[in-house]
Amino acid sequence: MIKMTRATDGKRVLRLANGLQLGTGNLLAGLFLLLAALTLAAASTGLGLTHTGLSDLVRSLFGENLAGAEDFALWTVRLPRIILGFMVGWAVALSGAMLQSIAKNPLADPGLFGFSQGSMLMIMLLLVLMPAAPKSMVTLAALFGGLSVAALLLWLVGGERSSGLSIVLMGIAVETVLSSFGALLLLYLPTETSIALSEWLAGSLFQANWSIIAFFVPLFAASVVAAFLLGPAMAAYDLGTNMAMALGEPVRQSRPLVLLAAVVLNAAAVTAVGPLIFLGVLAPHIASFLSPAVARARLFLSGLMGGILVIAADALTRSTDGALPLPLGLALTLVGVPLFILTLRLQALRKLQSH
Amino acid sequence: MRFLVPCLAATLLSAAPALADGRTVTDDAGRTVTLPEHPAHIVVMHEPLLGIPLMDIGVGITGSFGRKDDGSFVIAVDFIDSVLGEGHPKPKGFGPVGQLDLERLRALEPDLILASELDAGKADQLATVAPVYLQNVGSAKVYGFDVEEDLAALVGREDAFAARKASYEKQLEALRANLPESADGKTYLAIFLTDQLNVVGNSTGLVQAVEDLGYKRLDVGAPSGAAPAGGGMMLMPLSAEEFGKLNPDVLILLNSYMGGGRDEAGTRASLSKIVPGWDKFMKPALEDRVLFVDPAKVITPSVASAEHMLTAMESWSARKR
Repeated sequence: MIKMTRATDGKRVLRLANGLQLGTGNLLAGLFLLLAALTLAAASTGLGLTHTGLSDLVRSLFGENLAGAEDFALWTVRLPRIILGFMVGWAVALSGAMLQSIAKNPLADPGLFGFSQGSMLMIMLLLVLMPAAPKSMVTLAALFGGLSVAALLLWLVGGERSSGLSIVLMGIAVETVLSSFGALLLLYLPTETSIALSEWLAGSLFQANWSIIAFFVPLFAASVVAAFLLGPAMAAYDLGTNMAMALGEPVRQSRPLVLLAAVVLNAAAVTAVGPLIFLGVLAPHIASFLSPAVARARLFLSGLMGGILVIAADALTRSTDGALPLPLGLALTLVGVPLFILTLRLQALRKLQSH
Repeated sequence: MRFLVPCLAATLLSAAPALADGRTVTDDAGRTVTLPEHPAHIVVMHEPLLGIPLMDIGVGITGSFGRKDDGSFVIAVDFIDSVLGEGHPKPKGFGPVGQLDLERLRALEPDLILASELDAGKADQLATVAPVYLQNVGSAKVYGFDVEEDLAALVGREDAFAARKASYEKQLEALRANLPESADGKTYLAIFLTDQLNVVGNSTGLVQAVEDLGYKRLDVGAPSGAAPAGGGMMLMPLSAEEFGKLNPDVLILLNSYMGGGRDEAGTRASLSKIVPGWDKFMKPALEDRVLFVDPAKVITPSVASAEHMLTAMESWSARKR
């Protein structure tokens, strides 16, 4: 039984029989983003040297055999990039949105807290000690690095009453120290490791393949469940730690859980494509401009926007016709930052008009 | 599963010709690779380090990472022209440096991809297109024109390599007989100028030729961890302060490909920016023991580069006579 009603702020909501409610604005925004993601992905299948695209993909899905070049372009190059790109963007954006609520700071993202640097540093150390380390070990190293930073942060900021600002400030301090160590390692690593790491640090979907996707899919599914379960806590954290506690949020238990989810999502993304700097800030902001949301809706909208931004950035890198090297990180900046500036400007204008 | 089936099929199909008519070898990274018996469409991931040695033994290369679609090279120097002479067909590119394009690579229909240890992380993805052989090029692993000899054995062109080596040795003997004084026991130091001073690495034609003449590299200490970019071409960076105190019997200077000339005037100007006044106080400069060479000719790990170095030494020693 679904009932259309109005929330206390006057906005229309869909209320389900079990008490769950969903803002119609958020629902429409979610559907729009989903449609945008699918449209972009469909358009992106047509980008590249080989003359192929969505129609060939549909024929292939219905069992028709494609020529070698078309099959290779679609199934070995483009689809893995699009699918992995979406999941990675989703993961980083979700991680950023969670951290922003925990820190009650719109600038928080996995990079600002030092999680990305912790993962990167651990991967670098692993590659120094074991240059031929298997990918599974690289993933574990990234996870261990991120979790170590999260544990260190929790220990440094103290108990449950520590404010969001103290987490951000301590995160910046830890991030700065880890970045310095990372730069030092990069400088003194053997040339081949250093070059490989530099390419990875710039971000790239070159390594996208079905085995990485197979590893990422369960994590993606788990992130959807985590967003659903942790979403309500995010609404409480948005009001500050003390208010969250006053509202009955078990901060001592839920905060480490949220941090754990954010670290795992970010570490997996870092391992797959390298650090996607600023995406954790960009995506939640653009999503909230599209449709202001809290709790679960904010997490889902942020994740969708993150996925869209990475698909768009990848499309940009593949549409340069082989003339211009454009790392994924740079393409993401080129796509996301103008949108970010535009949304901030429009928000400012909206505020001016309302006064 | 729907996604995995076509990939598996494509992989098997692409591997099928190699499996039917191929041989299995172990590359320098310890990977087992099945290569075609006679690879006809070879692409290289590093043209100066892998492509030039191959072309020097008469093996044409189909593609080269770093070239553009029209065959022009991304940096100021075209190594094919400078090392092997003009008129050679140019390989095609497959994406700008830093952004390899698998579709462009596949469009070249390679049957062998030659890469170096620098590309180890990309090997799995490259192998979706064709067999990938990783060849060591680093200074600590290979010397002189070893890369050319290794590649000759890999593609079954040992005879061509033996002929090139015989020609080189003939030139070497002729020069050795004409040197004004024996080079045995004398020292040399080859420095490649970028925005810093880099000791030229072992895996170059330059080092092969100079050391075959009898010179020994001046001891400037063991390479530190701070290896400069450039794979086998560079050994280690050298501080400007340390450099000013050195006194090799022959100081060989090479200017960067980027900016400035690669001739004597350009090289002098570049070094003066890093070590101002070097020609006023360094002994090799004061005693006319400095040799200026074009890196684009002598730096590749090929017999042709070693021959260019012998020619440069010949001109220099003729001037000294």
